[in-house]
Amino acid sequence: MSERAGLIRRVLLGVAAAILTVVMVMPLTSTETAQSWGLPLMTDKLWFRVATTVAMFVVLSSAWNIIGGMTGYAAFGNVAFFGVGAYSTAFLVANLHVPFAIALLAAPGVAALFAIAIGLPLLRLRGHYFAIATLGVSVAVAEVVNNVEPLGGSNGIFLPIVRSDLLFFYLMAATAILAVAVSWLVLRTRFGYGLLAIRENEEAAAVIGINTTFYKVSAFALAAALTGLAGGVFAQWNVFINAENVFPVDYNVQMILMAVLGGSGTALGPVIGAVTLEALIQAFASGGEFAVWSQVGLGILLATTVIFVPRGILDFFGGQSRLTVQYLRNSLRRTGV
Amino acid sequence: MSGLVQQLVLGLLLGGVYTGIALGFGLVWGVLNIVNLTHGALVLCGAYLTWWLFSSFGIDPFLGLLPAAGVLFVIGYALQRLVINRVIRAPLLFTFLLTFGVNLVIVNLLLLIFKADFRSVTPHYAGSGLEAGGVTVPYIRLAALSISLLLAVGLAAVLNRTRVGAAIQAVAADREAAQLVGVDLAHTYALTFAIGAACAGVAGGLISMIQSITPGSSGQYTLTAFVVVILGGLGRVSATVVGGLIFGLVEIFAQSNSHIGAGYSNAIAFGLMVIVVSIRPRGLMGRLSGTAPGV
Amino acid sequence: MGKFFNRTGAGSITAAVLLLSACGSSGGSSGGTTATGDPIIFGSAVSLTGQQSKEGGLTKQGYDLWLDWINSKGGIVVKNVKHPVQILYEDDQSKPDQSAILVQKLITEKKAQYILGPYGSAASATDAVIAEKNGIPMVEANGAAQSIFSKGYKYTFAVLSPANKYLTGVIDMAATLNPKPTTLAMVSADDSFSLEVAKAVVDYAPTKGINVVFNQKYPNGSTDVSGVLSQAKAAHPDILMNSGHLAEAIAINKAAKDLKLDAKIAAYSVGPSTPDFISSLGKDADYVYDGSQWTAQVKYKPTFYLSVADYAAAYKKKYNVTDDPDYHVAESTAACLAFQKALENAGSLDPAKVRDALASLDVMTFFGQLKFDPRGVNTFKPMVVEQIQNGKHYTVFPGDVANGKPSYPAPAWEQR
Repeated sequence: MSERAGLIRRVLLGVAAAILTVVMVMPLTSTETAQSWGLPLMTDKLWFRVATTVAMFVVLSSAWNIIGGMTGYAAFGNVAFFGVGAYSTAFLVANLHVPFAIALLAAPGVAALFAIAIGLPLLRLRGHYFAIATLGVSVAVAEVVNNVEPLGGSNGIFLPIVRSDLLFFYLMAATAILAVAVSWLVLRTRFGYGLLAIRENEEAAAVIGINTTFYKVSAFALAAALTGLAGGVFAQWNVFINAENVFPVDYNVQMILMAVLGGSGTALGPVIGAVTLEALIQAFASGGEFAVWSQVGLGILLATTVIFVPRGILDFFGGQSRLTVQYLRNSLRRTGV
Repeated sequence: MSGLVQQLVLGLLLGGVYTGIALGFGLVWGVLNIVNLTHGALVLCGAYLTWWLFSSFGIDPFLGLLPAAGVLFVIGYALQRLVINRVIRAPLLFTFLLTFGVNLVIVNLLLLIFKADFRSVTPHYAGSGLEAGGVTVPYIRLAALSISLLLAVGLAAVLNRTRVGAAIQAVAADREAAQLVGVDLAHTYALTFAIGAACAGVAGGLISMIQSITPGSSGQYTLTAFVVVILGGLGRVSATVVGGLIFGLVEIFAQSNSHIGAGYSNAIAFGLMVIVVSIRPRGLMGRLSGTAPGV
Repeated sequence: MGKFFNRTGAGSITAAVLLLSACGSSGGSSGGTTATGDPIIFGSAVSLTGQQSKEGGLTKQGYDLWLDWINSKGGIVVKNVKHPVQILYEDDQSKPDQSAILVQKLITEKKAQYILGPYGSAASATDAVIAEKNGIPMVEANGAAQSIFSKGYKYTFAVLSPANKYLTGVIDMAATLNPKPTTLAMVSADDSFSLEVAKAVVDYAPTKGINVVFNQKYPNGSTDVSGVLSQAKAAHPDILMNSGHLAEAIAINKAAKDLKLDAKIAAYSVGPSTPDFISSLGKDADYVYDGSQWTAQVKYKPTFYLSVADYAAAYKKKYNVTDDPDYHVAESTAACLAFQKALENAGSLDPAKVRDALASLDVMTFFGQLKFDPRGVNTFKPMVVEQIQNGKHYTVFPGDVANGKPSYPAPAWEQR
């Protein structure tokens, strides 16, 4: 990395930190104390809804990135951990009347245990086979949950309503920051190098003494714990959960899409991807006659992005590449025939 | 007893439809290394074409399969040549995302053209069938199975007996080497995808007669193809047939058994798939990855 | 990002301005005869793309039909002020998780004062929570599962008869027929709505002397149910019932013919009432019954809005079709009527007052009686049974609203 690239990188990180600070402080203007001081209200209920959703997807795509981007295992069923986490918390809160704060802690634990249980057999698979097997698990778990009466069966579970927007925003944002911090740390430890080595060449990694099974299962469990935690927060935030809304197959695609869009294998890529894609989805959201066309537009946009910016948006922010016609041409040459 | 035989028959017949859905998907995956999320949308295109020919011009749906295959061949060729070829050498996930985007476009265009109404082709001979010893074999489903099997045999013949097939196999085995001996990569890729799309078109036509169609069900067909191909194994046409038939049988048996099945039939089908893949990553009959597709 | 901040910033400022102007205008206009006031804004997140775009489209048709009518009258009269009406839509792409954001967007950014329900039970439950959190009344037209209504939510109402009434009417009808059918096979999807429908039938049939000889569920959204039907056939039922959805109803009817399952009565909860069912199946759709929220033949005497016949005519004219509106359209229109009457009764635009007016609403419309029990469910309107005869819908039960007689028993498939 050149001198200049390093500078750009530092400046951008500084800007990112500033934006993050603003986003984290802004919601405080909605508190009664702030309002009594006459501060302008900078966030409304919609802001909270969207921001919390964005934070949730930052968690999902960052977590996916640990197993998919860093370890190179294209997990396609991470939504199972989201659902398992959501149901763990919901079951404890609604059926056993455990306080939410404690029930929330169960979510990452149960999800991680579940990941270890399915990871041990499935992580022996490679490539597509791993992808489809994890997808299969997520579909099967959703259906089992839908049929288990203690979990509400198809009626799902209703939790008591908690009316604080601030609480859920900060919980989800904290989970997101945790997910990014964990990713950042992983990339700078022996553990992370091991994962990258497995991604590049698993046999070689084993030869140099990496316990690949342990590394892979740990990465999977770590991803599951973070995803499950997000699921636990979602359950109480959304109040109502059933197999349909906590095991959506779409999320599997969405979290991968975000990680790849931003730049997979990096700590900040999934964040950028999640923010960008969720902003796009909201911008393209439409009612009336244009609903169908906006979906067509979203599809075209995704396709062109993949064709022309295959290394993700983050590529432009490291000082390595700039968005020029030459760059686009090179992208085509590098991946096309 | 006759109940069991009836389920066996229904399972095989349903498996025929599943085989049809999965053939093109398996070919594209095996040769181009693309998990084609557009596949379900292509199946839908074939289904709507067949329906449109039947309802507007009274063309028999089985006859309608031919133009459906033809049109889809052209669409498939253009799609691969103009769009997917651009990222064919990018990592797997990129083609994945690209086809996800294209799927969104096609499905919503279908929604604009045909509306969200449920459609189904019901020719006058629908529902007639053979009956023996309390077991019924509906003609349309039987024909669907036969056509799927014919399609599989035809596909295997093309791959093994023709120059085009030789080129496709060469590309699947080793891209660089194939290029060195003069295979036109861009054309061969497009041709492979076109053949896959044509198979999808036929499968769609068959579905329009047996089930009802609506633009929203694209994802379901892709998922079915995914499972069937994995179950059977990549790289062989016959493996797809076996995968399809087994998936059909499992689904019908799970559905029919009130003790274990009923609400769990997806879980059973996917659970079976996970078990097969864990024990035998190549699928029941698949070859190791990187080898040429064969019979 | 920048754009997003600006947008919400501007949003809250406009909110404040609107709030001020609203206070001003209501103060000034009291006592006038029929002045024109600010528009009343309804919001709805319906599915216009994705799996449920069909049902979502029907829902929107029902809402829009009322919208045209009320605006042609100049709007809803609240305390002698005429308020023109707007309905703002967002497409939830058939994903319940989108629904939550979109309803919040409608409330916060688009300033929707009242929410018209989405299609589907999961989306309805999600939206009900948002409505409750925001203190905004929501009237649902299309979520018949009752689980939402046992949570003590105060702001959600449903104009349609609950799930447990869907097919019990068919049982009542069957008990009057000769020769009386005595056995029943129930095949049900595994979503909450369908299971509620099925459970009610299984509990109710024996009290009318009909034995349930087969009862099985299949995964919601199954495309092929021939396995279940082959099992049902082995039980030789007089009555074949399905509680599920349109695609499944078509699949079941096709499979019944394929397998020669000759039931004297075939009745499906959802599907046969839509034109799609007849156009997909042609002659094979004949003799099929369904439990319907409403048909264009019912004989209610409405005290406001259109008569049943005028409603059907208005629908055909607006959408340029020859088919009568199906019940999804009618119940959606009815949801709007509930709001209109509640607003008029409340004499106020205040959400809490409108909510109270909804709770005490009791009015006869083309759709039947609109009145809610303490949970917010309309248990006062009966369901009707309709049957397809020669490609047309006839209401065949109960007798006082019927315009046809059940064609019974259905001939065997071979003899059609």
